[in-house]
Amino acid sequence: MHLDHLRLRDFRNYARLDASFAPGFHVLLGDNAQGKTNILEAIYLMATLRSFRGVGGAHMIRQGQKGYFVGGKIVGQGEHEIKMYWSAAERKLSLDAQPVRKLSDYLGVLRVVVFCTEDLQLIKGPARSRRRFIDLLLTQTHPGYLGLLQRYARALRSRNALLKRHSPDEAALDSFSAELVKLGNEIIRFRRELAPKISPLARLAYRRISNDAEELRLEYQPGVKQDFAVELAQSRKRERTYRSTIIGPHRDELQFQLNGRSAAQFGSEGQKRTLALALKMAQAEYLTGLHGSPPILLIDDVMGELDVKRRSGLLPLLERAHHARGQVFMTCTEENWPRELGRDWCRWQVKAGTMHVRG
Amino acid sequence: MATLPEPIANLIATLAKLPGIGPRSAERLALHLVQTESGAVQQLAEALVRARERIRPCPTCGALTDSEQVPCALCADPRRDATLVCLLERPVDIISIEKSGTYHGKYHVLGGKISPLNGVEPEDLRIAELEERLKHEPITEIVIALGTDVEGDATSSYLAKRLARPGLKITRIAHGLPAGSGLEFADELTLTHALAGRREMD
Repeated sequence: MHLDHLRLRDFRNYARLDASFAPGFHVLLGDNAQGKTNILEAIYLMATLRSFRGVGGAHMIRQGQKGYFVGGKIVGQGEHEIKMYWSAAERKLSLDAQPVRKLSDYLGVLRVVVFCTEDLQLIKGPARSRRRFIDLLLTQTHPGYLGLLQRYARALRSRNALLKRHSPDEAALDSFSAELVKLGNEIIRFRRELAPKISPLARLAYRRISNDAEELRLEYQPGVKQDFAVELAQSRKRERTYRSTIIGPHRDELQFQLNGRSAAQFGSEGQKRTLALALKMAQAEYLTGLHGSPPILLIDDVMGELDVKRRSGLLPLLERAHHARGQVFMTCTEENWPRELGRDWCRWQVKAGTMHVRG
Repeated sequence: MATLPEPIANLIATLAKLPGIGPRSAERLALHLVQTESGAVQQLAEALVRARERIRPCPTCGALTDSEQVPCALCADPRRDATLVCLLERPVDIISIEKSGTYHGKYHVLGGKISPLNGVEPEDLRIAELEERLKHEPITEIVIALGTDVEGDATSSYLAKRLARPGLKITRIAHGLPAGSGLEFADELTLTHALAGRREMD
């Protein structure tokens, strides 16, 4: 799959941009604050309907404008046309000129994996960012998972609203507990099945990037130990104090261990960076294995942070993307672009909201 | 808009509050009305007021009825099976079930579903009225026909427990594949329900 055409209107610092891309490697070169990352953000947005910078739609509108437009043509098994418009008053999303009614029909048309500095949050950040990592992977691979997550979130918020009352209606609480348990068990099952599939891929990627002999292990640690229904009932007393649901998959954790010790607690800064990269590589490998074609890789300036040794660990992944006629977009500044990685680049010069092919 | 006389602007704003009427339709309707013969507009206004004054929820089942017909035509109809009651969220749901033409029991409208996020509690629903009916009417089966969102599911399980009593069967309408469509159009959740609710073929 590759992005054949990108069209931006009033998106970030781009008033208008129309660019066509062949499969292969695309390096976006330019000084800081010229709009390199904004291109990656737009592509990621089409794939996931979120920004990887963790901001809402309003932040992505060009200054002084009402709304942004992002459109793209995706070529994979067949061609697809994506159009999205966002303003404070209006949101539109269409696929092949039809408005998108169900997100599960839409997600998966464009698959991407992003490598960015925020990835370090996967290791250093709260458990929420690790759950989001699993959830994103599951929504990209299981059409029904997103709906399940949304139903669970609704059941959870409903139940918490009941617990906030002075004297919650116990029978009503029970009925929402039943919903929560039913949906929660499904989510746990999905996550439990995913962990052992990702773990070996991440271990391999980690070993490839670092020369260290450490053994990486991913451990899924569900908030529910054995029986959700029983444990939820047992937590009623503590729920009365906290006035919210304190057990369930919304409290799950994914732990990374290096030689059996928590990487978040005991890992060095360098190990954490390597680990973040390895997780993203595992994600890309997993998606490639499942769909038979690699996702589009978006690499945002991580090269600058990595030493040459770690960079070369990325090589096999990039080469595979190349062979499979995948696509890689990479932002770099002039001085740190990784010349050692190859010659078949399409080089783009990004300057003040414009983008041109450079010879 | 600034050029429109105040009464028209006011009419547009009032019409735009109606369901399914956007600003454009509201404008069209308002401009049409103010140019219509005044007798016809008078008739419309009277019809609106009269309908609003005379239509009430039936005190028994909650369906909309003429205040001169209490209980409503559905409750009073002796041909309807009095042992069967279908439980619905809103009065308009009755119309959907009636259209199917296959249900001949009675109805009970809850007036909503338990929704903590919108501040709707069990006491806000017409559950006590239903319990009252269970005491006086020969009901042997309640068919729960609520939506299948989180609140609908939770309300159904709440009702199944609260209404449980000896000699009363509580059922829920099946949810599964839409008629006349193939499996490829069904989402996973629907298929899961459809599989769970499978039946032996006669």
